[in-house]
Amino acid sequence: QSLTKPRKKEHCKPIFSVDIHPDGTKFATGGQGEDSGKVMIWNMAPVLREEDEKNENIPKMLCQMDNHLACVNCVRWSNNGLYLASGGDDKLVMVWKRAAGISVCVCFLFADVMDVAWSPHDVWLASCSVDNTIVIWNARKFPEMVTCLRGHTGLVKGLTWDPVGKYIASQADDHSLKVWRTVDWQMDANITKPFSECGGTTHVLRLSWSPDGQYLVSAHAMNNSGPTAQIVERDGWKTNMDFVGHRKAVTVVKFNPKIFKKKQKNGSSPKPGCPYCCCAVGSKDRSLSVWLTSLKRPLVVIHDLFDKSIMDISWTLTGLGMLVCSMDGTVAYLDFSLDELGDPLSEEEKNSIHQNIYGKSLAITSTEAQLSTTIIENPEMLKYQQERQNSAQTNIGPGCAGPESSAPKLNSVMNGESLEDIRKNLLKKQVETRTADGRRRITPLCIAQLDTGDFSPALFNSAPILPSGSSMSNQLTSQLSSDSSPGQASSLGLRPSHDPMLTSPPASSIPCLLLTSASKIEPMKALDSRFTERSKATPGVTAAISSTAGLTPLDSRPKDGISALKDIKSKEDTSSDSEDKMATINKNLSFSKRKPELLMDGGEVVEKRKKGRPRKEKMAAPIAQPFTQITPPAEREPSRVAAPPAPVAALKLPTPSIKKAFSLQVSMEPSVFLEVENEVSVVAGSKLSQLRCSRDGRDWNTLLPSSVVTAAGSSDVLAVACQDRMLSVFSSCGRRLLPAIQLATPVSAVHCSSHFVMVLTAGATLSVWDVQKQKALVKNESLLTILSGADSTVSQSLLTQQGVPVIGLSNGKSYCFSSSLETWTLIADKGDSLVQCADFRSCLSTHDAPASSGPLAVMQGRNLNAGRLASRLSSTPHHLQQSMTLAFLENQLASALTLQSAQEYRYWLLIYARFLVNEGSEYRLRELCKELLGPVHKSASTAWEPTTLGLRKRELLREVLPVIVENLRFQRLFTEYQDQLELLRNK
Amino acid sequence: MAKVQVLNVAVLDNPSPFGNPFQFEITFECMEDLPEDLEWKIIYVGSAESEEYDQVLDSVLVGPVPAGRHMFVFQADAPNTGLIPESDAVGVTVVLITCTYRGQEFIRIGYYVNNEYTDPELRENPPLKPDYTQLQRNILASNPRVTRFHINWEGSADKMEDSENVDPSPNISSMLPPSCIPGKMPPLGLMPDNSMDCM
Repeated sequence: QSLTKPRKKEHCKPIFSVDIHPDGTKFATGGQGEDSGKVMIWNMAPVLREEDEKNENIPKMLCQMDNHLACVNCVRWSNNGLYLASGGDDKLVMVWKRAAGISVCVCFLFADVMDVAWSPHDVWLASCSVDNTIVIWNARKFPEMVTCLRGHTGLVKGLTWDPVGKYIASQADDHSLKVWRTVDWQMDANITKPFSECGGTTHVLRLSWSPDGQYLVSAHAMNNSGPTAQIVERDGWKTNMDFVGHRKAVTVVKFNPKIFKKKQKNGSSPKPGCPYCCCAVGSKDRSLSVWLTSLKRPLVVIHDLFDKSIMDISWTLTGLGMLVCSMDGTVAYLDFSLDELGDPLSEEEKNSIHQNIYGKSLAITSTEAQLSTTIIENPEMLKYQQERQNSAQTNIGPGCAGPESSAPKLNSVMNGESLEDIRKNLLKKQVETRTADGRRRITPLCIAQLDTGDFSPALFNSAPILPSGSSMSNQLTSQLSSDSSPGQASSLGLRPSHDPMLTSPPASSIPCLLLTSASKIEPMKALDSRFTERSKATPGVTAAISSTAGLTPLDSRPKDGISALKDIKSKEDTSSDSEDKMATINKNLSFSKRKPELLMDGGEVVEKRKKGRPRKEKMAAPIAQPFTQITPPAEREPSRVAAPPAPVAALKLPTPSIKKAFSLQVSMEPSVFLEVENEVSVVAGSKLSQLRCSRDGRDWNTLLPSSVVTAAGSSDVLAVACQDRMLSVFSSCGRRLLPAIQLATPVSAVHCSSHFVMVLTAGATLSVWDVQKQKALVKNESLLTILSGADSTVSQSLLTQQGVPVIGLSNGKSYCFSSSLETWTLIADKGDSLVQCADFRSCLSTHDAPASSGPLAVMQGRNLNAGRLASRLSSTPHHLQQSMTLAFLENQLASALTLQSAQEYRYWLLIYARFLVNEGSEYRLRELCKELLGPVHKSASTAWEPTTLGLRKRELLREVLPVIVENLRFQRLFTEYQDQLELLRNK
Repeated sequence: MAKVQVLNVAVLDNPSPFGNPFQFEITFECMEDLPEDLEWKIIYVGSAESEEYDQVLDSVLVGPVPAGRHMFVFQADAPNTGLIPESDAVGVTVVLITCTYRGQEFIRIGYYVNNEYTDPELRENPPLKPDYTQLQRNILASNPRVTRFHINWEGSADKMEDSENVDPSPNISSMLPPSCIPGKMPPLGLMPDNSMDCM
C-alpha cells in the first residue's frame, strides 16, 4: 500500500473526533481524557514530514483543553478557521476562539452532544444530541439559539450541511435520515427505508454531503442484511445506490472537499472527463475505504488500520491528505497523490459547477449566508444593511417560497445522437401501424429510460437497490406540485395576481390589451371555456365577447355585427344619419355595422350617446391620461378598411372617413370636449363646418370652410384636420395659434400632447410641431423606412408629453422618431426573443410601482412580464439567460431614454442596477456609477451633462447606491462612490 | 398521481396554409409501464358558439408505453371546411389536443389559432364565402393552455374521480415552447436548478 503513509499518534484514551484546521497547519482531536473530556490541538507538520517528527524543536502538541467534564464526541473548526466548536457527553457545546494565546470559551448547557457542524460561511452552528433534537445556533451571536429541530425519535448521531446552504441533514438511531430546509427549518425529507434494519449499535453516524451538493451519503444503512453507506440523491431524495463492502456498520462518511477531474495523461487525447467526487468511508470493522464516484469499485480499502472502530475522518483542504481517528486512541494520516485522485478543480471551476447546477455561484449570492461572512467595512454600509434586514423581516419572503423543483429535462442524448437530430426526423422514424379495427397506432420513440435517465453513467455505479416505484414518484410529485400550486415561485404564474408586473388593478390592463397592436391573437374569452370543460362552453359567450370587443377587427362573426347594429339602433341622435352616410362611403357593410363598437373601444373617441358602457370608459381613462393617446379610429384599422375609392392606390396609410358629426373628449383634467358638426350651413355655395369645444363647462365655437376629417387635442392645444388637407391649430380657448397648415396628402391621424401636434398623412409622412415655439420638430419624415420590407401597416401612433412621436406597426415593432438623432429608432419589438427570455423577476423591487403608464410600457404592452415563459427559462443555460436579460435591460434603458420617458428610465435603471448587483457584473456597474457621478472636479472640457431627461444623475446614483449594498462584494465600490457623493454635497 | 406527464408539445409547420395537416411533436414521460395504449386526439373547434362544430381531426393510439420518456409526432389532416360555419372561418379559434387513458381524459392542451388571409386585398375585403386556399393558419404556440384531470389509472374506465381543473391560464412549467433550444448537458450529469433564487 504505497499510497498510504500511516502514522499514529498516541492519545492513550479513545479519540472520538478529529478535524484539520482549514489552513492545514494544525488539527484538533476530541475524546476521553483521564477524568474529563479532552480537546487537543496538534501541530500538523510532524505528521506530514518524518524529519519534522524527529526534530525535537518542533512542537507536536500545541494546546490541550480539559474543560469538558465528560467525553468529547466531536470537534469542528469553523470554515474561516477562527473558531473551534466541541461537543461532548457533559451536555455542553463549547466554542473556542484563539485570543492572544489563550483560548476563550463560550459554553452553554444541553443534553449529551453527539455531533456539531458549521454551516457554509459559518452562519450557523448545528449541534445534535441524545434528546432527539438538533439545535441551530446563531454563529455570529453565541449563545443565541436560532431554532430547535424536532422530529427524530431516537438519538441524533450525525449532522451535515448542504454545501449550497439550503439544507441540513441528520441521521439518528430512529432508523431515519432527515433533511431539513434552512429557509423555514422544516423537514424536507424523511428517509427511512434503507435504515429499517439498522440497530443502534454505532456510537456515531457521521453522514456527509458531496461538495457539488448533489449527493448525500449516510452512515450505517442496510441493504439485504449487509451494511452499506446509502447514497441519497438531492434530486427527489432518491435512494437507488449505496457503497457496499464493509463487514460492520459504517460509522463515518466524509467527502473530500474537492471535486476532481481525470488526470490528463501526457500524449493521451485531451478528452475532458466528467468531474467526480471522492468519498472516504470508515466502519466499525476497523477498515477504511476510499471511493471515487467515477469508479465502480473503491479506489483503496485499508483493513485493520486500527485496533478498534474508526470514529472520524478529516480531509485536508487540498483534498490530498486525510486524518482518521479510532476508538483505540490513535490517529492515522494518509496522503494521496494527484495520480491517484485526479486533478482537483479550482475554486472557480467548482463555483461554475455550482452555478450551473444551482443558478448562482456561492461566491456571489446575496444570501444571508454570504452577507454574514463578509466584514462590513463602512458604517454607511452597515446602516443600509440593517435597514435591509429590517425590511426583510417585515415582509417575510416571497422569495423563500418553493423548494427546488425538478426542472423539465430534455437534455438527454441517445446513442450519440442529440435530441435535435432526433426531432428532425421523428415523423419519418416513428413506427405507425394500423390496429385490427383500422385505427392508427404510433409507437413512440423512447428518448430516456427511467432507470438510468437522470444521472450520467459515470456516477455511482455501485450496487443499486432494486429501482423502486416510490423513488420515482417523489421526483414527479415535486414536478407536479410545481405545476399546480400557485403559491410557488417556480410556477411563475401567468395569473395576474402573482405577476409582479401586473400589480396595477386589472381594469387598466384591459385597455392595454386593446391598445397593443399585437394583441391580435390575444385570448378570446369566448373560447376559453373550451380549454377546460366542454360543458361550460355555451353560457357566457355573449358576455365574453363584449369584454374582448377590442378584438373584433379580426373577427367578422355576424353576431358582432348584430350586436353593434343593436347599439346603433339604440342611439338617439346622430346614428341614423351617419349610418346611412357611412354605408354609402364604405362599401363594406359588415364593417360599418361594427364601427360604433370599435369607436367606443378606441379609448378616447367617445361616441356621444346615452347608453354607453361606463365601465369600459372608466377603464380606458387611466391610460389616456398621461399622454394623449388616441387609438386610431376604426377607419385606420388596416385589416378591413374601405378607403375612399379614388386615391386608394396612391395612399399608403388609410384615412378616416368623413362623418356628419362626431365628438371626442380631449382631456380629462381639465375636462375638454370637442364636438364637430360638418356642413352645418351653406353660405355662398360653400359648406361650413362647426367646431364646438367645451372646457370645464365653458364653450367656444368656430367655423371652418371645409369638412372636418379628424381632430385631436390636449389640455393646451387643439388640432383639426379638414377635407381640403388643411390643418388648423387652436389654443384651448379657441384662439387660432397658427395659420392653416397645408398638408401634401390627406391626413391619416392627428395627435396632440401638451403643446405638440403630430400629423400622420396618408402619404406616410410624419410631422411634429412645437406650437409654443412655433418650430418643427419633425419635418415630413417618411415612414417608408420602417414600413419597407415587411408587409406591415401602422396600427398605432401616439405622441408623448415630450413631443416624441411613436409609431406602432402591425408586425409588433414600435418605432419612435428621435428628432435629435433625426432617425427612426426601434423601441419595442414584440417578437423579440430577448423580451421573452429576459428574467429579471428577482430584480423587481417591491417598492417601485411598475411603470405601466409610460409610453414604453404602452408600446410593449403586456408581453413584458418578467420571465413570462417559465419553462423556457428553466431550461436555458444560466449564462445565456443572464446575457439575454442584460441585453434586454439595456435595450429598455436606451428606449426609455430615446422616448424621453423619465419615470420609465428611472424604473429600468434601478432594475438594471439590481441585476448587475445580483449577477456580480462589477465592470458594468462601475461604468454606470461613473456615468452617473460625472467628473468630481469642474473642468471646462467635460461633456458630461448633470441631468438626463430632467432627472439629476447624482440623485439617481443616490438611489442606485442602496441597491449596490445588497451585495457585499461591491462594498468597495459603494464606499468609493458614497464618499465622492458626500464630497460633492459638501462643496 | 398521474402516471403520464406531458413534458412538451412543439407545434411544427406553423404558421402554414389552412389546408396543411396539423403536426404536433409531443414529449411525455411515463412513470411505469402502461398495460394499455394512450389515445390522443386533435379537436378543431369550428365555432366558439357551439360544440356541434367541433371536429375530431384524428385520433391515434400510442403504445406500447414502457416507463420512460417518449416522443412522437401527431399529424392530422386539416379540418373539413364544409363543417365550419362560414362566418367563423376567419378569425380566432381553438385547437385542442387531448389524451385519454382507458377512456378517461386526463390532459387537455389547447392553443389559440388565428386564421387570416395573407393577401392584404383579401384581408380588407374578405369574400363572403371564405376562400380556404388563401387562408393562413397560425397557431399561437407560445401560449398553450393546459388542463389536467384526475382519472383512475388503475381500474376500468367506468368511473372518473372528481375532475380537478388546473387554472387554464398558467403555462405549465413543464411546457416548452417549440423554439426552445434544449440546454447543454450540464456537468456531472445533473440538472440545472435555479434554486438559489429562492434563498
